[in-house]
Amino acid sequence: MNQYKPELQATAKDLDELFRLSDAGADSIYVGHQDFANRASGDLTIDEIKQATEHLQAQNKKIYVMVNAIYHNEHLKALPSYLKQLESINVDGIVAGDQAIYQVIKDIGSSLSINWHPSTLATNYQTLKFWHKRGLSRATLSNELSLDAVREIKEQVDFPIDIQIHGMTNIFQSKRRLVQNYYDHVGQYYDPDQKRFIKEDRKEDTHYPIFEDKNGTHIMSNEDLMMIDHLDIILDAEIDGLKIEGILKETDYNEAIVAIYREAIDTYLADPEAYQQKKSGWKQRIYQIQPNDRRLNTGFYFKEQIY
Amino acid sequence: MTTKQKPELLAPAGNLEKLKFAIHYGADAVYIGGRQFGLRSKAGNFTFDEMAEGVEFANQYGAKVYVATNIIAHNENLDGAHEYFKKLYEVGISAVIAADPALIDACREAAPDLEVHISTQASVTNWKTAEFWKNEGLPRVVLAREVSVEEIKEIKENVDIEIEAFIHGAMCISYSGRCVLSNHMTSRDANRGGCAQSCRWKYDLFEDGTDGTVDISDENDEKYTMSSQDLSMVEHLPDLIEAGVDSLKIEGRMKSIHYVATVVNVYRKIIDAYFEDPEGFELNSEWVDEIWKAAQRNLSTAFYYGEPTHKDQLYGRPERLPKYDFAGLVLDYDPETQFATIQQRNNFGVGDEVEFFGPNFKRFKQTIVELYDETGEPIERAKHAMMITKVKIDHPVHYLDMMRKQK
Repeated sequence: MNQYKPELQATAKDLDELFRLSDAGADSIYVGHQDFANRASGDLTIDEIKQATEHLQAQNKKIYVMVNAIYHNEHLKALPSYLKQLESINVDGIVAGDQAIYQVIKDIGSSLSINWHPSTLATNYQTLKFWHKRGLSRATLSNELSLDAVREIKEQVDFPIDIQIHGMTNIFQSKRRLVQNYYDHVGQYYDPDQKRFIKEDRKEDTHYPIFEDKNGTHIMSNEDLMMIDHLDIILDAEIDGLKIEGILKETDYNEAIVAIYREAIDTYLADPEAYQQKKSGWKQRIYQIQPNDRRLNTGFYFKEQIY
Repeated sequence: MTTKQKPELLAPAGNLEKLKFAIHYGADAVYIGGRQFGLRSKAGNFTFDEMAEGVEFANQYGAKVYVATNIIAHNENLDGAHEYFKKLYEVGISAVIAADPALIDACREAAPDLEVHISTQASVTNWKTAEFWKNEGLPRVVLAREVSVEEIKEIKENVDIEIEAFIHGAMCISYSGRCVLSNHMTSRDANRGGCAQSCRWKYDLFEDGTDGTVDISDENDEKYTMSSQDLSMVEHLPDLIEAGVDSLKIEGRMKSIHYVATVVNVYRKIIDAYFEDPEGFELNSEWVDEIWKAAQRNLSTAFYYGEPTHKDQLYGRPERLPKYDFAGLVLDYDPETQFATIQQRNNFGVGDEVEFFGPNFKRFKQTIVELYDETGEPIERAKHAMMITKVKIDHPVHYLDMMRKQK
């Protein structure tokens, strides 16, 4: 009998979203705080994380806490005690992207599981095997990979592999304040709470969200990833974690998306034929709630790159 | 008195000729790219034979040759890595610069005695990461460009590992390796050498309000961009030396011979002057003046003294900087006749004001008065590429001195 049971992962900006996404069918939720996390969709305090952990674990669901900032010496002062707090709360794992985590976890004798998520740097299986030997428990692959490459990595490693299946992806991070700098340059007041995007010159339909936080400036992809009608390939490859990135999206939207993918995944695993019949319907439901300025596509999963 | 050891001056070499100039002008080590695993797919890049020749040349000066193998590999890029590293070791390469642990492992397995340095592409930004690599047995990390002088001191105080830090050249405005703008905008993989420099393009910046969007760049008549000024520590080198940096690195495998020779020459001079008399060291404005002759953008100290602001970025039209051509290369000099044999590298002729410069910061200006072709016929201009000329020179010059001319 096939033991494969994929984990539908989602991100939460606050407790309300966390409860709703859990109810909608997410198996695990990513949370964090910008003090240690890159691109958490909202900032949760330790108390909130504790509450979230109790809530999710009571339903046999998991919580991962993002500590995936690119650390500077300053981060390292408070990081050990933050990690110890997370360990005592008994979260299911941390999501990290700075190589220092392997040293820090060892130094403090922590038993926290590491989900290795170095954004652009998880691109081949040998690299992941290297980090597995140093302590990773699972890994989130880079988004700029073909599904063939994802499959090959999954075949080569013996720990869980996560990929993103929906939502925007991060494509750039600078430590500089690249938005505020522009406002300073033109002499205009900078409101940090304003939503913004950049558009390529002479490319009318481009829309790259851009924002600043404690970790610098982040730019997100032009399109939202949508793999609803390719879940068969992903599930046949037995990819372990299927992640819906909810950053910069309303809770209503994320809740609906999680529910749709929950239904699609369960349908495929129970009855692949039924999945094929129903997938255009799910796709339509997504199009109906998709913001007008955010196109949907399949990212790099079916795309060739040159170099 | 400084208690520090003299740091290495590390220069880029896009091809064999640039390697020779970099070393002749004072680099203690150069880094080059081979045909595989390197990020500068458009730089000349060395065959193994050229590497061997480069190593032989470097050995005459006691200099070292490093090879950048700094791509972030995909599955299909891993083939042949072991053979490649083995071959690098055999041709006498002193170290490889790598960011991807897959390649680090391949190198350690195939050539255990070949040093591995962690590339800036891996974003080493803190002392725990440095400690991690120290414990892995690696001798050196190249720091991320986001690290300040104070942070470098802390890293050195906490970890006994060699630190390589950039002192001059172009910079990623992102954390290096953490940018895939190029992948998304052009399908060219930045982390495998295909970077289209999308950060330096022009964009429109919109505010996305509830009542629609506002094009802020249009309102201000100034396009949005993320282009960075270039790094230069020409005025602050002792700070990095005293912070304990072991290798001072110049960026630019794609840059010209004129650029490499000029920049290396200046930093060589500064390092030597500082170690000759640390107490009495003073910045010489001629060094700064010389650096600007090779500058391609305005210059910044980036993160070394705190977070860069809008003043460290490039908006609007490029600044008009004086540009210099590499006009001729000195092949020979006859002290009796005071004529130099010069190989033309860019059009020059009688009446032109030119500047000669060579290693040890030797330089002088003169006007060209007497110019002859190879057969001894007087000519007005040296128009043909690589033609051999004779030029009357005001002061003695040497083989591999260079002649530059303002554009």
